[in-house]
Amino acid sequence: MRPMLLVLVVMLVPAMAQASQRCAVDDTGREVCLAAPAQRIATLSPGATELTWAAGAGEQVVAIVAYSDYPPQAQQATSVGSHTRIDLERLMSLAPDLVVAWVTGNPAEQVETLRSLGLPVFSIEPREFEDVASVIERLAYLAGTEVPGNAEANRFRTGMAALADEYAHRDPVRVFYQVWNEPLMTINDQHLIGKVVTLCGGDNVFGELPRLVPRIDREVVIAANPEAILAGGMGEENRHWLTYWQQFPGLLATRQDNLFFIPPSLIQRPTPRMLEGTRLFCEKLDRARARR
Amino acid sequence: MPRLLLPLLTLTIAALAAMVLSVSYGSVPVPVADILAVLQGQGSELQRTLIMDLRLPRTLSAFATGGLLAVAGALMQVLLRNPLADPYVLGLSGGAAVGALTMMLLGLGGLFISSAAFAGALLATLLVFGLAHGMGSWTPSRLLLTGVVVAAGWGALITLMLALAPAQRLPGMLYWLMGDLSYARTPAPALLVLLLTCLLVIPLGRSLNVLARGPMQAAALGVSVQPLEWTVYVMASLLTAVAVTTAGSIGFVGLVVPHMLRLVLGNDQRLILPACALAGGTLLVLADTLARTLIAPEQLPVGVITALLGVPTFLYLLSRSR
Repeated sequence: MRPMLLVLVVMLVPAMAQASQRCAVDDTGREVCLAAPAQRIATLSPGATELTWAAGAGEQVVAIVAYSDYPPQAQQATSVGSHTRIDLERLMSLAPDLVVAWVTGNPAEQVETLRSLGLPVFSIEPREFEDVASVIERLAYLAGTEVPGNAEANRFRTGMAALADEYAHRDPVRVFYQVWNEPLMTINDQHLIGKVVTLCGGDNVFGELPRLVPRIDREVVIAANPEAILAGGMGEENRHWLTYWQQFPGLLATRQDNLFFIPPSLIQRPTPRMLEGTRLFCEKLDRARARR
Repeated sequence: MPRLLLPLLTLTIAALAAMVLSVSYGSVPVPVADILAVLQGQGSELQRTLIMDLRLPRTLSAFATGGLLAVAGALMQVLLRNPLADPYVLGLSGGAAVGALTMMLLGLGGLFISSAAFAGALLATLLVFGLAHGMGSWTPSRLLLTGVVVAAGWGALITLMLALAPAQRLPGMLYWLMGDLSYARTPAPALLVLLLTCLLVIPLGRSLNVLARGPMQAAALGVSVQPLEWTVYVMASLLTAVAVTTAGSIGFVGLVVPHMLRLVLGNDQRLILPACALAGGTLLVLADTLARTLIAPEQLPVGVITALLGVPTFLYLLSRSR
């Protein structure tokens, strides 16, 4: 009995030592390990801030960047510049024990500097709905907030799956989604918003274009003659990008009055708020179906 | 000789003062006593990181870059006998930018960007040199025209790349084009090149003085004009390539610092070239300090500040000189 116990203890000791270490693989494939759950988190993009709050680790965020406006209480953390140029001095002075960076948004050389100074950097870039849920779970694990984090990740995952079940197989609606006004920009099927279009049973008229966010001409929109036009705008309630299309009564979308506004913050950031944005999107497309 | 030494001594003191200022000021206040402690190997870990890992390398990079650009500008102005010449007039920064932006479009950072910038700058140099040299005689005006046209070509490529770039990569690309010292990695190569340049350029000063008066006179006075012109061209190109590799294409320093110094010190290349190294470095160190701290925590591109500081200073000197 006694040797057995000894063997058990010998096996458990290293396991217990490792149990306090938390490791997660980031979206660039790097493994980030923390000796203890992160207590001072720096988030280097508005999306990273939002996802960290969603992971239940909002109280641990000590550094944010400009435009980190959701949730509103996130703005109480200290700003360390903008996501395109980070004030490294101020960031270091806040002594973060985890940095959440944005793969394509943050300057690579500044992120490299942070790594060379010995900070654990977790880089994120959600490209699928599942990535949003998985980033939340991984951040929650690193911050030791698995209970609220996993719950939020599951709420998002099941919510999106439910919307897909409900809408994906309905009659297709030909959709033009306008990201920006001047220059006129849309998204293809690979973009996360393009995936929202598909999930809601829409057919993106520019889905086949090779570039993720193509800049297009107004003529091709009119030629494509979408059944519905959905747009954000500058600000959360500005509809005037849509009123532009009203001068073309020949457009099917204009004739059927299918010019819909979607608040950009609900759909243009890869965060759990996308669930709400997607629900809105699906409802608008359904309204277009009802007007046939 | 004291006539040469006094301005250089003054500029050296100014340069040291600027560097002290740059290391003392940042977005996080560090008391002077603590800075001295850090420089002696003491101080807290955070303060050591702030001073030794972030501020000091950046200050030295700024000094080296500014010095290189100003010397390169002065050399180009002598070579092309054109007051509007600057280190970028022959399209060198365009080549570097195309290299660097390509790497950014591919999502590669750090070492890739600086190596591609260096390769682009060398390619641009060889291209202009080959085209201007290709047929017939090799004259500065031919070199200038070739360079300006090639530069326009690079400019078109850059615009095309910006137009095709994904939106989230645009800010980084624009910052690179405006010139920004947060790209600076290790200051050692640029500092070394600057030091070597100063040692190489001083013995050339006398011949350059003659060359500035025109190739005929220079030839009559026994200067072998063409080898000298080639040396100057290759040298200015290398200096610019190193500067652009360190911190992107920072404008204005290379154009205005040599002119400012000529207005004050006269047109003796033996004095102007080392003075450019000191004054260019000083200007960029001061500009970068402001860029880091003016609206901290937001960071400005240093190119904006060099122009904002340089334009009024230059206009003042110009109006006073006549």
